[in-house]
Amino acid sequence: MIELKKFGWMIRKELISLKRHPPRLISILAFPIIMILLFGYGMGGDMTDLPIVVVSQSHGDLTDLTLDTIKSTETYHVVEVIDDQDKAESMVDKGEVKAAIILPDDYDDENSTNQKAVTLYLDSSDQMASQILDSSTQAIFSRLSNMVASGSVTAINQNSTATPSISHQFNNFKDDISLHINRIYGNIKYIDFLVPAVLGMTVMMSCMMGMGATIAGERETGELARLFMTPTSVSTVIGGKIAAKLLIELVRALILIFMAIILFNVSIKGGILQTFIVLVIGALCFVGFGIMLSARTQTQEDYAQIVMPFSMPMMFVSGVFYPIETMPWILQKLAYIFPLTYLNDAMRGIMLKGQTLGDVWLDLAVLLGFTVLFFIIGVKRFNRDV
Amino acid sequence: MKNAIETENLTKVYKNFTAVNSLNLEIPDKTIFGMLGPNGAGKTTTIKMLTCLIQPTSGRATVGGYDVLKNPDEVRRLLGMVPQQVSLYKDLTVMENSQLCADYYGINPDERDSRIEDLMELVDIKYAKDKRISQLSGGQKQKASLVASLVHRPKILFLDEPTIGLDPTTKRTLWDLIRELNDNGHTIILCSHDMHEVDMLCDNVGIINTGNLVAYDTPQGLKDSLLESNKKEMAEALSQISAENEVSTSTKEDVENLALRKMSFLLESNDESIIDSLKANESVKSISIAHNGRVNLRIDYFDDNAVNDVLKTVVNSNGIIKSVSTEEPSLEDVFIKSTSEVNEDDRA
Repeated sequence: MIELKKFGWMIRKELISLKRHPPRLISILAFPIIMILLFGYGMGGDMTDLPIVVVSQSHGDLTDLTLDTIKSTETYHVVEVIDDQDKAESMVDKGEVKAAIILPDDYDDENSTNQKAVTLYLDSSDQMASQILDSSTQAIFSRLSNMVASGSVTAINQNSTATPSISHQFNNFKDDISLHINRIYGNIKYIDFLVPAVLGMTVMMSCMMGMGATIAGERETGELARLFMTPTSVSTVIGGKIAAKLLIELVRALILIFMAIILFNVSIKGGILQTFIVLVIGALCFVGFGIMLSARTQTQEDYAQIVMPFSMPMMFVSGVFYPIETMPWILQKLAYIFPLTYLNDAMRGIMLKGQTLGDVWLDLAVLLGFTVLFFIIGVKRFNRDV
Repeated sequence: MKNAIETENLTKVYKNFTAVNSLNLEIPDKTIFGMLGPNGAGKTTTIKMLTCLIQPTSGRATVGGYDVLKNPDEVRRLLGMVPQQVSLYKDLTVMENSQLCADYYGINPDERDSRIEDLMELVDIKYAKDKRISQLSGGQKQKASLVASLVHRPKILFLDEPTIGLDPTTKRTLWDLIRELNDNGHTIILCSHDMHEVDMLCDNVGIINTGNLVAYDTPQGLKDSLLESNKKEMAEALSQISAENEVSTSTKEDVENLALRKMSFLLESNDESIIDSLKANESVKSISIAHNGRVNLRIDYFDDNAVNDVLKTVVNSNGIIKSVSTEEPSLEDVFIKSTSEVNEDDRA
């Protein structure tokens, strides 16, 4: 009963602190939102509406078809269609647009036997954008070239309205070759791949950092000494801290999940409850990690130094941004000793594949194993000396 | 009288150095004990062992009769500690901090708040009970810290530099409070570098240096014994010098000057007759009058009657003494003397 009261005080203390420091409360709640926005829009989004200019020096059906196709492709945002090639190139040079698609002057000349050389004048300094422009422009023109070859374009001439026939021709074209892709987990975007791991990573960062702040910080400022002078065991004091930390982390995890759903329409196939349980286990594990590291750390500054070599590699090696399999073998091996790898795997299993807790039992068992290990080492190493 | 604290060969060894070396200390119950010592002498380590924050390497210590190793929780219940650094939660109010401490000590909830209120009245902080610690002044923080440390009615209270950085008025209020707590039956262990504070408050003083107790007595006892030992030392030095004929006259004078003691007084009027009779007095070795009219004398260090003689001369010449002072060893002198001796021994 008394021990419960002591637990309660630690939670109460944290909540009072937050209530009396609105900026701190806001930053705690804003952090997951910023993370998800950052990763969602910054890394997970598709590139669309890249500004381009088109140089069209002839008129005819093929030109119309080409312009319409370009304009209707989401990748491009056609700033202008002009007939001056030099002006278009200078627009690219000045950075006003990312590329210029230059159609040759004999583009619509059916009698010309020359190969119709379309030029993509590309700002290759923007690597990401140029790759996307390169591939989608190639795709458009190889499609158009196929259509010309199969005589489809000639067919356009016989139609009075251009647009429906284009779609018609496209459909014809699509019917010729069809590729059936069987995506076993549905159509997964990069953001879907990212969100479960970003959740895990956010929980890891704030649990590890936060635990240091409370334990090493209170050791430094002496509050911990006062608690340790009372007839209270180390595990009760630490337990109270964990309970408080866990509560806040879980609220943040929930915010993170809901923000991901609202902003990016991320689907949680395995359900929120199971996701939540996995996150709780992950949070416990990292709180344990934090306690182990802070057990003998005398100041908050020391703690920050100690925690960095663990948290930074874990962030990049544990498959948050790229699949582990794409990394060099040594990092792959390293990934397997980081708890975050298992948390990410379990989170993806539940959120993406719709697995159950039973399906990811191995990940959870490893996480719980780490947790027990961290706590034993932490409490054993922990001394009352403050 | 039984002892509140007893240590027997208490030792704490860290990897490569001995912080506390076979300390034997007895602090009588219901007294104020001053624990002095230079920085790094082992005071903090001793307090940590007594408050069960660290375990001794060897030896034993009892607090209120309980062994610190065998019954740490009993010891913790008997102890209160007001640390140098105010270690209360800054975002919580004085009341909340005290309640938190009370609950960590397992105080009965029915009497918790009334007990806290009584303590707040005692230390006069009740008016700020709903203020956060971060909003308090230095003195108020110390008072709040006292309330939180007293909430479980500890028999023994450790105060670590309780008045450091406080203004003289607040200091005095705290000193009064420390006396009052002692009157109420608390044993108080005061760690301080403020010699005046220790001199005024403490019944007994122990000086710790390099992990050992190097002096233990009442403050006056320590000063008196320093006076005696100074006299002895000086006599030895003088006899040594007079034995060595080769010593230059100037050195001899220097040493003889050392064997003089300062005395000064302020008279209602510095009549020439008084000054003349003082000059005639054998005990007076030199005389000068400061610009503010204060008469400064040098008298024979070894003549126990010198002070008496001088005063008699003044009174007999119808002088009216407004104030008088003589040079006596202070507790600071005792501190410097007893901590330097050991340091020299160490170096030897």
